[in-house]
Amino acid sequence: MTESLILGLSSGSACLATCGMVMFPYLMAGSAGVKKIAVDLTLFLLTRFIVYFILATLAWYFGRTIFSNPFIRNIVPGILYIVFAVLLVWYSISKSRKPDCPAKIVKTVNNRRLIPILLGLVNSLGFCPALFIILTQGATQRTLFQSYLAFLAFFIGSSLWFLPLPLAGKIQKKEVLKNIGILATGLAGIIFMIKGLTNIIGGIING
Amino acid sequence: MDNSLKTVALRKSFGKSLLYTLPMFLITFMFITGGKPNFSDPASGLAMLTVFLLVNVLYFSMHFTGKTDKYRAILFIIFAMSLSYTLIHNMLQVRQSMSFSQADILECKIPFCHLVIPMMILPAAFTKSIIFPGSIIGGFANISSMVVLWVIATIVLGRGFCSWGCFYGGWDDGFSRLRKRRVIKNISELWKWMPFAVLIMVMLSAALTLMPTYCSWICPFKAVTEFEKVTSVESATKAGIFLSLFGGLVIALPVMTKKRTQCSFLCPLGAINSLSNKITPFTVKIDKNSCNECFKCVEVCPLFAITREDVKKGNVSLFCSKCGKCVDACSRKAIHYGIKGIPAGTMKNFSRNLFLFVSFLFMAIFSSGSIISTFQGLFKLIF
Repeated sequence: MTESLILGLSSGSACLATCGMVMFPYLMAGSAGVKKIAVDLTLFLLTRFIVYFILATLAWYFGRTIFSNPFIRNIVPGILYIVFAVLLVWYSISKSRKPDCPAKIVKTVNNRRLIPILLGLVNSLGFCPALFIILTQGATQRTLFQSYLAFLAFFIGSSLWFLPLPLAGKIQKKEVLKNIGILATGLAGIIFMIKGLTNIIGGIING
Repeated sequence: MDNSLKTVALRKSFGKSLLYTLPMFLITFMFITGGKPNFSDPASGLAMLTVFLLVNVLYFSMHFTGKTDKYRAILFIIFAMSLSYTLIHNMLQVRQSMSFSQADILECKIPFCHLVIPMMILPAAFTKSIIFPGSIIGGFANISSMVVLWVIATIVLGRGFCSWGCFYGGWDDGFSRLRKRRVIKNISELWKWMPFAVLIMVMLSAALTLMPTYCSWICPFKAVTEFEKVTSVESATKAGIFLSLFGGLVIALPVMTKKRTQCSFLCPLGAINSLSNKITPFTVKIDKNSCNECFKCVEVCPLFAITREDVKKGNVSLFCSKCGKCVDACSRKAIHYGIKGIPAGTMKNFSRNLFLFVSFLFMAIFSSGSIISTFQGLFKLIF
């Protein structure tokens, strides 16, 4: 759960750096005061919560089916952790990384009421390395409840970054925060790389 | 730019330097000998005398030559090596090994160091408990004395603690001086924010797990102090991590970049100390009227604290550890030690004298115990 929360907190900052400026105008546009912003933000976060809830169930179900053998249960997730963690590290340090947010799809939607829900959907299903890691995490949990906890921690960690979105215009030194967030994402990737390695070595030693 | 501007000479005459050294001489004498020099044990007496002379000769040289970093670094590096020696020596005497067991953790026998402080903050605030398995008062390297020392030093020196008080900094400072030229020259500015990312990660993970996660998983200085006994895949992974970090960030990269890479790219306490630079009275200032923008200071800064833009603006960033390398490198003495509230370019000598007295005295007092102990061991070995 701690790892998931840290992953959410670190990748959430990079997610906000990439998508915040795309989502911000749509979540705030035409809003009549704090109440409307709060409603839109709640709808956005609620959609993300529901999507993660479904993903936690699916990940755990597939994990239980695929990783039935104890040896495979250590080795395969270990390899997946390493692959996704390498992607996450690459994503955070790559100079060619372009801030391209899938949420820009909302530009094609006319119904304003649907926008926060659609943004929540696109944001939670925007298959980034962090989501792949948390899917692996959910798939390797012993019980469904533990899988929910892992996704809940990831949801809380990543959602915290969206809460001050209405104040985004007033935050100074955004570039510094963005840099720290990107580096923290890379560190989270390293944590999961080590977790993956430990899984594989443990799997080999324990047979 | 007016090249005819006179630069301030920081070097002093022999007599004046001696006069400036006198207060240091008296205070260090009191601290090192306790007011009563005891030569009943020749090795101990000789070690005390050597350290006392070393400290005062270095301080005298700072005034006499006008150079700071060279003499600071000598004591700083000796401090780092002797602290490791003292700690390892103590560990070997107490538990016959550099590694500690689970029993040592349960009995709170782990020596405390200042790098734990960032991880203690959140758990202490929420649970009113200290998450480190060390002794709070009494015993070797206890928690309270280290925290008090760090707080005082940080308020007075800011990130200066990293160059005048940290007993680990001397390791990468030493390795960064081994080569004459840099092998790796271009390092992205982005990396200097890494300690803040590490700080956030370790503070959060420590608060969530109530464990000193940086010490358990990351700290490279376990290679020269103590470490967890390798009994499982997890402890072997931990050993692999700290050894790689020590080899990479403390030895290889400082040698290749001539920068203190562990302090610049990893240390979470360095991030907190950087923020404390905002409250400390001492600072490094750039006198734009004297500066000819040669950017020598940018090149020599070991902590990426000065960029070309900073020089043009006449500011030094919050990453500055006041080591004095840029001050020594500046031929026009445009960059100098200063005191907040006093304009750049004025009272350069006064500011330097005051800063050197405070910072060097702190380092001399803080380091003398472990250096004496190391010299004592050496003398016993030789004679």
